[in-house]
Amino acid sequence: MTEFLYIHFPFCIKKCIYCDFLSVPYDKSLASKYIDALCLELRMRKHSVSKLKAIYIGGGTPSLLPVERFKHLFECVRNNFCWSPSIEITVEANPGTISESNVNELVSLGVNRMSIGVQSFNDAELKTLGRVHSSEDAERAIHTVKNAGVRNLSLDLIYGIPGQTIETWKASASEAVAFSPCHISSYELTPEKNTPLYKSIETHQIKMPDEELVLEMYAHAIQYFTNNGFEHYEISNFALPEFRCIHNLNYWERGEYIGAGAGAHSFINDVRSRNTQDIHQYIEMLNMGLIPEVESTKIDKADAIKEFLFLGLRKTEGISLAQAEDFGLNIPDACTELIEEDYLRIKNKNLRLTKKGLPVSNSVIVSLFEKLEIR
Amino acid sequence: MPKNIRNFSIIAHIDHGKSTLADRLLEYTGALSEREMQAQVLDSMDLERERGITIKAHSVRLNYTADDGQNYILNLIDTPGHVDFSYEVSRSLASCEGALLVVDASQGVEAQTLANAHLAVENNLEIIPVINKIDLPAADLEKTKEQIEDAIGIDCSDAISASAKEGIGTKDILESIVKRIPPPKGDDNKPLKALIFDSWFDNYQGVIVLVRVFDGKVRAGQKIKLMANENVLEVSQVGIFSPKIVPVDELSSGEVGYIIAGIKSVTDTKIGDTITYADNPALEPCHGYKDIKPMVFCGLYPTQSHQYENLRDALNKLRLNDSSFNYEPETSLALGFGFRCGFLGLLHMEIIQERLEREFDLSLLSTSPTVVYRITTAKGEVLHIENPAMLPEKYEKIEEPFVVTTILVPKDFIGPILDLCQEKRGTQRSFNFIGKERIKVEYELPLNEILWDFYDRLKSLSRGYASMDYDFLGYRESDLVRLNILLNGELVDALSLIVHKDKAYYKGRQLAEKLKEIIPRQLFEVAIQAAIGNKIIARESVKAVRKDVIAKCYGGDITRKRKLLEKQKEGKKRMKQIGRVELPQEAFLAVLKVK
Repeated sequence: MTEFLYIHFPFCIKKCIYCDFLSVPYDKSLASKYIDALCLELRMRKHSVSKLKAIYIGGGTPSLLPVERFKHLFECVRNNFCWSPSIEITVEANPGTISESNVNELVSLGVNRMSIGVQSFNDAELKTLGRVHSSEDAERAIHTVKNAGVRNLSLDLIYGIPGQTIETWKASASEAVAFSPCHISSYELTPEKNTPLYKSIETHQIKMPDEELVLEMYAHAIQYFTNNGFEHYEISNFALPEFRCIHNLNYWERGEYIGAGAGAHSFINDVRSRNTQDIHQYIEMLNMGLIPEVESTKIDKADAIKEFLFLGLRKTEGISLAQAEDFGLNIPDACTELIEEDYLRIKNKNLRLTKKGLPVSNSVIVSLFEKLEIR
Repeated sequence: MPKNIRNFSIIAHIDHGKSTLADRLLEYTGALSEREMQAQVLDSMDLERERGITIKAHSVRLNYTADDGQNYILNLIDTPGHVDFSYEVSRSLASCEGALLVVDASQGVEAQTLANAHLAVENNLEIIPVINKIDLPAADLEKTKEQIEDAIGIDCSDAISASAKEGIGTKDILESIVKRIPPPKGDDNKPLKALIFDSWFDNYQGVIVLVRVFDGKVRAGQKIKLMANENVLEVSQVGIFSPKIVPVDELSSGEVGYIIAGIKSVTDTKIGDTITYADNPALEPCHGYKDIKPMVFCGLYPTQSHQYENLRDALNKLRLNDSSFNYEPETSLALGFGFRCGFLGLLHMEIIQERLEREFDLSLLSTSPTVVYRITTAKGEVLHIENPAMLPEKYEKIEEPFVVTTILVPKDFIGPILDLCQEKRGTQRSFNFIGKERIKVEYELPLNEILWDFYDRLKSLSRGYASMDYDFLGYRESDLVRLNILLNGELVDALSLIVHKDKAYYKGRQLAEKLKEIIPRQLFEVAIQAAIGNKIIARESVKAVRKDVIAKCYGGDITRKRKLLEKQKEGKKRMKQIGRVELPQEAFLAVLKVK
């Protein structure tokens, strides 16, 4: 039984060049059928959920959804699940798609956290990324959300954009802080396969910034945001005290969750599963009364250990040695060298990545897998 | 009365159509029905078929009714088609009275054909020139004949024009074999004298020996002995290949066939050895027997140490079928337990390595190939060094093997080829035109120099037109030094090599640079140094990895991220851990990429 629900809304006005999440061009009638199917799925999954602690509506661009459909979706959630009074309900929003009326409506439905995909306050960079909005749109959107009374506001920023300089990054970071959000996600732009960005790099049409510059940007983010009262609680995430994202923390702590919607993932009873990514198939399966899962993997002990390590070490507080011991891992012995080299540190009975270790966490974790002899 | 038997081989360069011609002969004489024909029957090993070369010799008996109305037995003895196996070729040729010299009409004579044709001449074989591929638009019959006459000195006025692919000329070839190749001489009443020209291990029968009987008869139940090692054995079966295995009552003088005699290992059946009766032996063995020794050595190590036993078993199994390759356990400080393996040449080495990986599913690490150096110590002791790491600090004299290399190349490409030979410390021996277009040059070269990139560069400098062959000359004193590689200050013995003093600095620098490219960035800096003795001659470093992180990890797709890390871990598995440094397999062959 889980307390966490993710809902995927796979529609966008236009896909950004770096995005490898599931999304298709927005189509009003398809989106409407999709919400109906989603409701069917939620009903079918109601028995896997106890009392909800967090709902996260991500995408795609959920803020594209007409208010009336949102209402329908929330009704469906309420009809099938109960939730705790302190529930965190997040909706992801694209600055180009936010209006005063729909934000007010979302708030009245119970949404209390909004994550705005600002990405950059520099218009040239937004254009490079293929975003549909301008920095002005972002500013307007932030004001709208704040005015609607959403206190828990999160801003997404991207660094390492082709053409970005340390100065423009610093400007974006400080502008973000100036809006006093409660949470900032600051991601390095990663060229994923099967994205237009990846192709452009392969064909030398776009050149990614130098590694050293990207590292400098990352270092700046950590220093600047922490100096401004944010806690650096995960590789790419910063929050004011008490404003860490409950929903995402659950992923990193290997908690169970239900993912509803096309392409969404679930983790229940040691099984990780995935819904079909084909929106039409998704709708069709649900209308036939089938759970739209197309893939599921039982997580065995070795996989669980690996997940525990690589997910847990994403958090700056790290993993607890006691929990590691429960998995049968002798962390201190395996880490001698990596600790000596200042990639890892043991503090307060937790193993964590150091400042030097964070940007090379994959190498460190793989090395840890080897030293712990995990097959 | 001479028997109606003709024993012959086919001499041809790779791709000049030997296997296709053999197929046509089998088909024409009805040895195999069309349905049974799997293209290129004689090349039975997968590797042979893939690479288009014949590695082991085979023989097949063809029954042919000639135009004179008589029935003939034609024994086709196939020969390996590569320079590394020239001794085996010479023994196959010694089993014949004649040979078809097949030359591609569009390509002309190649160095290897030349070498094998000379072997045939030395063995007094009747040579029938066959100009193949006359159906190709680029075929030039007259030019090809002129080249054969110039290069080999045989008359081409009655050369046969053929296209094995199209089946043109097959009958002419069969008639010429009957008319021009002499029948075997020999005496059934003399003591047995049979030449071993091939042998292999069969899981059910033990070793199967292919022989040409010169004198006497051999049948099951007889006691025989191998003259080189005096082993006495009892024959359990004799027979022929049709090409299917067919037991017969006896093999008599002039015939070609197989003998099975409870032999456990091919190391006992040396190619070129003579089989005779145990109690009434021939006066002397067939001449030309040599105990051939490997020329090229390398270390083979399992990438994962637990595969050591598997590697040993695999080497053991391969050796059952290939006595020309040998191995001895060796230990490297860097690589742990492995084997020092000796091969006839580079191709032979590649084939064995490929078979080990493919047939035995081993992941191997090979050190760069080396020749055998001859060291004379101050005390006058002579040592043979097959592993550069074993070169002593002090010695009186060091000698290296030299070969004479024959290169055939169209005249337009000769300039860069001469430069290449010069660069490789070569001395020119001869320079001759063959026809008007092609040149034959002979160079004396250190074997060590042609091991590395010589052949590849020869091919690229001539756009693939040059061909080469080489023959061992002997040992010569040279000014050689050992070049060492240190990683983070520690000597990696498996990367040491012996080089000429004049090239040591250049090679050291190049090798350090290459290693820098090959060694992936790791969690700490890797310092690469090249040294001669205690003197560091080159330095490079591989900076520590600075950025390797999954920036974004949510949306629930945890499995994909896990697999990403697992893949990264798998990648590391293929590397060899030396101290703290992880070395990919290519690092050990980096030296091959240094000019």
